[in-house]
Amino acid sequence: MLDGATGTELQKRGMPAGVCPEQWCRDNPDVLKSVHAEYVAAGADVIYTATFGANRLKLDQHGITDVAGVNRSLAELAKESAGKKVLVAGDIGPTGSFVEPFGPLAFEEAVSVFKEQVRGLVEARVDLFVIETMIDIQEARAALIAVREVSKAFTMVTMTFEKDGRTLNGTDPVTALITLQSLGADAVGCNCSAGPAQMLEIIKRMRPFAAVPLIAKPNAGMPVLKKGKTVFDMQAAEFGAFAKKFVRSGVGMLGGCCGTTPEHIRVLRRKLSGAAPVPPCRGSLSALSSARAHVILEGVRPLITVGECINPTGKKALQEDLRQGRVTLARSLAQQQVEHGAVVLDVNAGVPGIDEAKTMRKLIAALSLAVNVPLVIDSSTIEVVDAALRLYPGRALINSISAEKAKLERLLPLAARYGAMFIILPLNDREVPETFLERKKVIARIVKAGQRYGYRKSDMVVDGLVMSVSAHPRAALETMKTIRWASQVLGVNTICGLSNVSFGMPERALMNDTLRALLRKNGLSMVIENPLRKKTRPNRYAADVLRAKDKDALRYLAFCRGLQQKPSQPAAAVKKEMVLSPAEKVRRSILDGNREDIAAVIETALHAGIAPEPLVHDIMIPAMSEVGDLFDKKEYFLPQLIASAETMKIAFGRLEPLLRSDSAPKIRERVVILATVQGDIHDIGKNIVALMLRNHGFSVVDLGKDVAAAAILDEIKKHIRPVVGLSALMTTTMVNMKQVIAAAQQEKLSCRFMVGGAVVTRSYAHSLGAEYAADSVEAVRVAQWLSD
Amino acid sequence: MNVHFFNSIPVIPPSKEIFSRLGQVQGITRITAARRAEVERYISEASALVELRGAALRCNIRSDGETVTIASENNPALKSAALANLLDGCAEMVMFAATAGETIVNAIARDVLGSDVTRAVVFDAVASEMTDAGLDWIMRYWNQELRRENKTLTKRRMSAGYGDFLLENQKIFHALLDLNCLGVTITPQYILVPEKSVTGVAGILSVQGE
Repeated sequence: MLDGATGTELQKRGMPAGVCPEQWCRDNPDVLKSVHAEYVAAGADVIYTATFGANRLKLDQHGITDVAGVNRSLAELAKESAGKKVLVAGDIGPTGSFVEPFGPLAFEEAVSVFKEQVRGLVEARVDLFVIETMIDIQEARAALIAVREVSKAFTMVTMTFEKDGRTLNGTDPVTALITLQSLGADAVGCNCSAGPAQMLEIIKRMRPFAAVPLIAKPNAGMPVLKKGKTVFDMQAAEFGAFAKKFVRSGVGMLGGCCGTTPEHIRVLRRKLSGAAPVPPCRGSLSALSSARAHVILEGVRPLITVGECINPTGKKALQEDLRQGRVTLARSLAQQQVEHGAVVLDVNAGVPGIDEAKTMRKLIAALSLAVNVPLVIDSSTIEVVDAALRLYPGRALINSISAEKAKLERLLPLAARYGAMFIILPLNDREVPETFLERKKVIARIVKAGQRYGYRKSDMVVDGLVMSVSAHPRAALETMKTIRWASQVLGVNTICGLSNVSFGMPERALMNDTLRALLRKNGLSMVIENPLRKKTRPNRYAADVLRAKDKDALRYLAFCRGLQQKPSQPAAAVKKEMVLSPAEKVRRSILDGNREDIAAVIETALHAGIAPEPLVHDIMIPAMSEVGDLFDKKEYFLPQLIASAETMKIAFGRLEPLLRSDSAPKIRERVVILATVQGDIHDIGKNIVALMLRNHGFSVVDLGKDVAAAAILDEIKKHIRPVVGLSALMTTTMVNMKQVIAAAQQEKLSCRFMVGGAVVTRSYAHSLGAEYAADSVEAVRVAQWLSD
Repeated sequence: MNVHFFNSIPVIPPSKEIFSRLGQVQGITRITAARRAEVERYISEASALVELRGAALRCNIRSDGETVTIASENNPALKSAALANLLDGCAEMVMFAATAGETIVNAIARDVLGSDVTRAVVFDAVASEMTDAGLDWIMRYWNQELRRENKTLTKRRMSAGYGDFLLENQKIFHALLDLNCLGVTITPQYILVPEKSVTGVAGILSVQGE
């Protein structure tokens, strides 16, 4: 049983708002001790020190510099109140700053800030630690690493989740659990967040994946407005009614947060009299996480694709980008791979001549912001893996650990320190074992070494080590045996890169994809490949090569020769030609905003003998008017209107030279001058109006944005009775419309004005002597009316 | 008074709001599957270009019902009866700002000049909605911070440029929030640049225990 809220209790006992709570407690030790004592009397087994904000960054705001001293003295007060049976948890709260890569606080600085606090708490001999109310998983990691680097004491970590079930920084409960329990938290859970009902749901989500005890410390409900005042209104009896539900949901440690009192804890204790803490339901979990998502590697599931594209080997553009310190291309590759189905991304920063560790950290930071999927740290340099694992805001997979002496001795403890999963590569110092039996021995040796560091089989992934079948005809067969044994006998996850197998062979995609299918049948769980590459169907000739049933691959090679000689296949499913006339096809293309096909459709119409002018006036413009009507009725939304307008633009582009050489229609003489007035930079609306007007045959002079009145007047003078469209988005710039119109009137210029923009109203327009257009469709109608 | 900077605000593009901003009306607008897929693809592309960052500042205030005076150097005053009304009963407030960054704004500008206007309008809507969602996120962050002090933010927030809370007040936000640090500048007409940058203010209320 944990304690309840401290802050609320201190306020009740006279702590004023706005003071530094830690300093106030030091100045009023008896008050703090009375709060602790009441929680002890209520039945708490663990009380938290009043050091929630006692870190350098928070204390500094109050001019306090003795961080260790504050922590020590407050922890000593808790120890005095606790007596011999109750444990004291050194409380560590957030710094208030987000940590790299999510915020400005450098990761090592965050660790250092927390270490100062931990040292003060250690001096007072706290029994355990609690890192609480964390909303940034990276800050929680920094705090946990700080504790682990100073003390071996039991450490609990609780995060705070929002109504949507994620932390403010976007981490869901299971992701937080995976990251924290693998990093060495002895218990994980949530505090604050909301009332007990919502927290129950969070605990239920964590429970199946928890390898450590779970903690719940809910608020006394959510603040509600009562008689004009905002209050926490859940009384102790109502709060206590959740006690057994929490235990049934798997909570081993229960207490209260904001708004709870010693009475709330007393009721919880009474309700749980005789109940035992709930132990975790599993010993370990095979799972990876990023800051905002996770991948569970257990149970029946589809083959997991690990995207391999962020590897500069053989990629000049990526090499150059990384050499220049840029991560733009890597970020884009990451996003593309995820869009094409990658669930995990392999990251390699190995470019000759660069600081690989620094580049890897940069990639980890950029990719953690760009994509949500977990990352595989791929490097043969131990220092690079170390730098990456420390910063990576989740549970990573290391690619890879072999039986080479240096790797085993240095990488395994490193991986264990950060709780990363790792890929076992069946290599030793002397050779690449070719047969399954040799590989099996190497794998068993690495598994045993890993177990010495507390690893379980669920934390390891065996690489099937694919070699080229052109050099080693039995290579794929040995890989299949390795995968089958690892997955079915050893009981671990398995992984393979595919592309090596087809080195030196024709139709490599065919070979690779066939191997994927064969390995999947043998139990393969993860595949490292390029998800952007189009997949082919498994092929029996390739399968025979891979199963060593086609000596010298003769049948496969013959099959490939046949493939290359065949003429290109007609599309399997030939689309039935739509029975539409060429004119109707033009109309449909505009209505559908079919930018891709309009050029061809126009050509067909021209070939069918439709003249350019009737095509524009009788088909295209009416179609566009129809689009405008649909937009007016809200049956179309803006992207449909614009897509149609862009389709018109393409069609016009093709027809315009023909019109000019033909009859130069009079409609082209209608001129509209457009400008966003001086001081305003918002011009997307004006640009849409320009597009629409051009599509309706107007000649548009677009002066751009932030245009001075004089420039508009100069342009008006160049045309005969033009329509002038002015736009403004802000209240501070719409007044400049008045200036332009007044100046034109003063100079007696012959023109008509229409105005629009977010803050402009019809009545304001009329007050200026201008017409109003609410949107681009209305602008076309107004321009038509003003030009007639 | 220290400005809090948020280097990366994690916001998922609010799809419903984006479609609504683009003019979709439930039950009326007919969107083909292909068009929906296209818009969703643009939303995904846009969200990769939005670099949502923010700043916030907690400050003490005085209000006389017409003007809210900030306890800071030179005691800047925000003139607005509506704002004073929102902050009634508050001794403190939080000023905040969010920006979608330059990359998305440049992409919109490039596309709108002809290369792909359809994509430009979707990018524009995504940037606007994500920036607004950024302000929501900052408010949630402060509520989290304030909960430990038994305080909460007013449910509503106000932004300069609405009602009697004139856009001119934006210069006070720009200065106090040190928005230059986020790469946000302000024009003589009090417009924030890059375009997709917004500010807001909410009051701090005390939560009372029962």
